[in-house]
Amino acid sequence: MGTARIAVATLLVVVGLAAPGLRAHHSFAAEFDANKPVTLKGTVTKMEWINPHTWIHLDVKNPDGTVTKWMIEGGTPNTLVRRGFTKSSLLPGTEITIEGFQAKNGANRANGADMVLPDGRRLFMGSSGTGAPKDPEAAR
Amino acid sequence: MRHRALCAVTVAVSTVWGAATVAGQAPAAPAAAPKPAPAPRTPWGHPDLQGTWDYRTITPLERPREFGTREFYTDEEVKTLESRAGRRMDGPPEEIRPGLTHAQYWTDPGRFVADGRRTSLVVDPPDGRIPGLTAEGKARVARQPNRAGTVNASWLDRGNQERCITYGLPSASLPTLYNNNIQIVQSPDSVVIVHEMIHEARVVPLDNRPRLADGVRGWIGSSRGWWDGDTLVVETTNFSGQNNYRGSTTGLHLTERYTRVGQDRIEMRLTVKDPTTWEKPWTVLLPMRPTEGELIEYACHEGNLSMVNLLEVARDAEKAAEGGAPAAVPAAR
Repeated sequence: MGTARIAVATLLVVVGLAAPGLRAHHSFAAEFDANKPVTLKGTVTKMEWINPHTWIHLDVKNPDGTVTKWMIEGGTPNTLVRRGFTKSSLLPGTEITIEGFQAKNGANRANGADMVLPDGRRLFMGSSGTGAPKDPEAAR
Repeated sequence: MRHRALCAVTVAVSTVWGAATVAGQAPAAPAAAPKPAPAPRTPWGHPDLQGTWDYRTITPLERPREFGTREFYTDEEVKTLESRAGRRMDGPPEEIRPGLTHAQYWTDPGRFVADGRRTSLVVDPPDGRIPGLTAEGKARVARQPNRAGTVNASWLDRGNQERCITYGLPSASLPTLYNNNIQIVQSPDSVVIVHEMIHEARVVPLDNRPRLADGVRGWIGSSRGWWDGDTLVVETTNFSGQNNYRGSTTGLHLTERYTRVGQDRIEMRLTVKDPTTWEKPWTVLLPMRPTEGELIEYACHEGNLSMVNLLEVARDAEKAAEGGAPAAVPAAR
C-alpha cells in the first residue's frame, strides 16, 4: 500500500469536493473562467476585509495610459493573515501584481491566485514572514 | 526592511539567551513529574470551555476506503500528509480544475492530522464511515434537485449558505473549506456557541426547560444543554427540514459533547441520528485548539458580492446564447 497513494486519497477527500454538503457552495465555475488567466499590475485603491471573501480594488494602468478599475477576490481574512498578510500589507497606494482568473462574462473582476508584493515577496511562497512554523511539532 | 530584519534577529537572539540563562539557574529536575494544572473553572464552578477554538484538520470526516479497517495512521503517513499540507498552505497555488467548487488556494484546512492520528473523524461505526442510507433516506436523496447545470435564474437556485441564511447544523460544527472556528461563551444558566460559519450564535439553555413543542421547528433546530460531570452535553432537535444535512430531514437529532481535555484542547464528540435517513447513528470525534486570533465577523449578506456576480454572469451567458451582445461590461464598483 503506497504511502503516497494514501496521502493523495486522504488529501482529496479532505478538500471535500465529493462531499454532498459542499455541492451548493460558492462555485468558482459560476463566476470565473479557468481559461481566462490574467496578470494585473496596478495600484491598490481599496481593500475590503470581508469574511469570507476579501476584495482588492486595483487601478490597472493600460499600455495606452488609460486606467481600468478591477476588483479581485481573495480568501477569508484569517486565511490571508495566515499566509502573511497584515492589515497594512495592502494599503491604498501600494503597487502590486496579481495573477488570477477573470470573470466568465469578461467583467473587470478576477479570482486572485498569486500576488507579488512591492518588496518582491510572492504571497504564496512560504518561509519567513508567513508565520509558518519551521517545526510542525512545535505548533501541535 | 533591513531595520525589521535586524529587530527580528535581535529578538530571536535575546529569546535564546534568556532561555539559556533561566535553564542555567533552574534547580535540579524533581524526581516526580509536576502535577498538571487543575482544569479551569468559571467563577460559578462549571468547567470553563470558554474561548475561541480552531478545529481545522487534514483528517477526513470518513476513512478513505483504501485504509479498510485500519484505524490509525503510521508515523510515516502523518509526516507525509502534514508536510504536503504544509507545502499546500505555504506554497504556490494549484491549478484550477474543471468542476472545482471553490478556488483551492483560498481553502484553509490547516496542516495537522487530528490528535490521536485516526484515519477519520468518524469513530463510530468502527469502519470510520457514515452508515448507509435507509430505503426512505435513499428515496429522499434521489428526489433532491440536481444543481449541476443549474442556470441560476435567481438566488433561489443557490444553497442556503450562499443565500446567507445558514450554514446549517451539524455542518457549522464540522471542518469545512475555511472559518473552522467557534467561540464558546458561558453563563450560569446558558452556553452560547458562536459559529464563524456563517455567523450563527446558538444560545443553549442549561436550566432544564423542556424541549420546544413538536410543531415548533427551526432552520438549525433548537438546542438544550446540561453538564454531565465535566462534559457539556448539547442536544439539538426540532429541525424544520429547510436545511437538510446529507439528505436528513426533520428527524435529525444531534448530541454534542464538549470536554476540556487539556489547557489548550477541547474535544467535541458529535453523535448524528436520524432513523429515517441512516441505518444507525454515527459519531465524530473532533479535537479543537485555541485559535490564532479572534473570530472575524461574517457579515454574510452585506458582503455577498459573489451572489451578485454569479447572477450577472448567468444573465450575460443567456444573452450571449440568444445571439444578442451582453450588456455593456459593468465597471468594477
